Amino acid sequence: MSATYARVAQDDTRAGGIILMIASSLAAVLVFAGLFYAMGTGARHEAALAAAGCEPSLSPSGLPCTTTAMLKNQYAAILTPDSKQLAADTAAYTANEGKNLAVAQAVLTAEVTTERAFDTSLAGITFPPAITPIAKALFQADQARANLTAQQAQSSSLTQMRSFNHRVQAASATVQTELTLLGKALGRG
Amino acid sequence: MARSPLGRWADERQPADDYYPTSYGRQNAYPPDDYPDELVPEQRPTVDYQPEQRPADDDYQPKQKPAKSRVDEWMEVDFKFGGSRIKRKAVALILLGAPAIAPLFFMLPALVTLNSNTFATSVDDTLGTGAEICLFLCLLVTPLAMITGQHWFVPLRRWYGIMMACSAIGDATAAGITDDFAGGVFGRLAGHVFELMGFMMVLLVIPVLITSNAWAQRKLGRYWKRLQQITYVIWGLLAAHLVLLEGLGVQSGENGSGFAGDGDPVFHQRFYQYSVCSLFLLTLRLPPVKRWIAAQQKEGRNWLVYLTITPLFALFVFGFAFIITEEIFKGLDSFTENPSAE
Repeated sequence: MSATYARVAQDDTRAGGIILMIASSLAAVLVFAGLFYAMGTGARHEAALAAAGCEPSLSPSGLPCTTTAMLKNQYAAILTPDSKQLAADTAAYTANEGKNLAVAQAVLTAEVTTERAFDTSLAGITFPPAITPIAKALFQADQARANLTAQQAQSSSLTQMRSFNHRVQAASATVQTELTLLGKALGRG
Repeated sequence: MARSPLGRWADERQPADDYYPTSYGRQNAYPPDDYPDELVPEQRPTVDYQPEQRPADDDYQPKQKPAKSRVDEWMEVDFKFGGSRIKRKAVALILLGAPAIAPLFFMLPALVTLNSNTFATSVDDTLGTGAEICLFLCLLVTPLAMITGQHWFVPLRRWYGIMMACSAIGDATAAGITDDFAGGVFGRLAGHVFELMGFMMVLLVIPVLITSNAWAQRKLGRYWKRLQQITYVIWGLLAAHLVLLEGLGVQSGENGSGFAGDGDPVFHQRFYQYSVCSLFLLTLRLPPVKRWIAAQQKEGRNWLVYLTITPLFALFVFGFAFIITEEIFKGLDSFTENPSAE
């Protein structure tokens, strides 16, 4: 019995050695394959830059590339909340422009704050050279609208306030056009 | 015949994976049978017992604590710091254990400022990856103790396990609040199959966390170890979670998993990282492998053990390095509240 157990134990131990050798060999192959694969990083990096629309040295995380996807995410992160806030402000202004000067002024002031916050955030994004002019145009158009809205908020009467509406709408249309252009440039629209 | 908890029949030996060396020189707070058989090979019965041949329970000797290695002895030495004496081991454990707090630390500014955007964008990368790191470190302790014969770092296993649980629970909590999946809280936690896997992991980690203390260990007795082995189920569920999340392929253009920008999508594929790390951790848990290692060590051929496991460990380090890198980059982005959506 003792011999039987010893033989079984020896076989079991040998099996452990074989398992370990196989796993270890597989690991060695994978390590060498990984190192071999890593040697082609440079070429793949260049290809990836071209394929993903990367811009070197723009990454906020220190990675050597900012992809179009990353830019889109950054842009969406500022655009989405500001758009929602502006929509709410516009609705509130429309509801009050004919009846309550103080509330309408407060709404317009809030709108100016939102627009300027968007401009500041937009200026914080580093766009690739091809997109930078579009982003600048959007920035300027939004600044113009914010200035106009600020003037509108200082109106002393509801009539005077409503007289700005057409100019503000025209400025908003310009902003919308620039937004569309930037969205297209980033592949959003 | 009542069976002594201190002795087991050869054919009943459990695949002892976890063992709990106590502080040397103190009373052992853990059941002696939790020590791995491999560490006391000289005590393993070498006869094939038949029921009628079984010796009386009194014949069994409790397994002894594994012999202290020279490093263990060195770690036990005190040194003077300020007005008090501190063990080298305590300093080493603190230094090795402190990084496990990093994932939670990275998310702290977003928590303080209630920045839901940072949570929604990067909590899964920061706390989820952090939980994965802590799980692997927790699972790494036992094989390293077996290979090196050192036990001074074994307390880290519990610590890493606790931090893994905290990170995973934090990840699930934040996802349940800030994710934009439809279906309310449950939809955000389990609305997709990969999320369901993650949610199950979190549910399973809760009892493991609650019982990860000496009091629960005493109260649960032999069942405590079984309960703690749920960790292996969590390990398996993590594979399902990552496969369902990332798939089996790599990124091509903007599709797939792994960040394309640096030209190394294979290295960033989370399931690949998991697999190469798990190969080492799993292989060294297989009972025949453990017995082979114990046999080599008993015969003084530790060099052969080191030589054999070197490729496995190299592969583990290879994969783990990319997980750590991702945690650092994503974590720092989260910490500065400029979350990365890569």
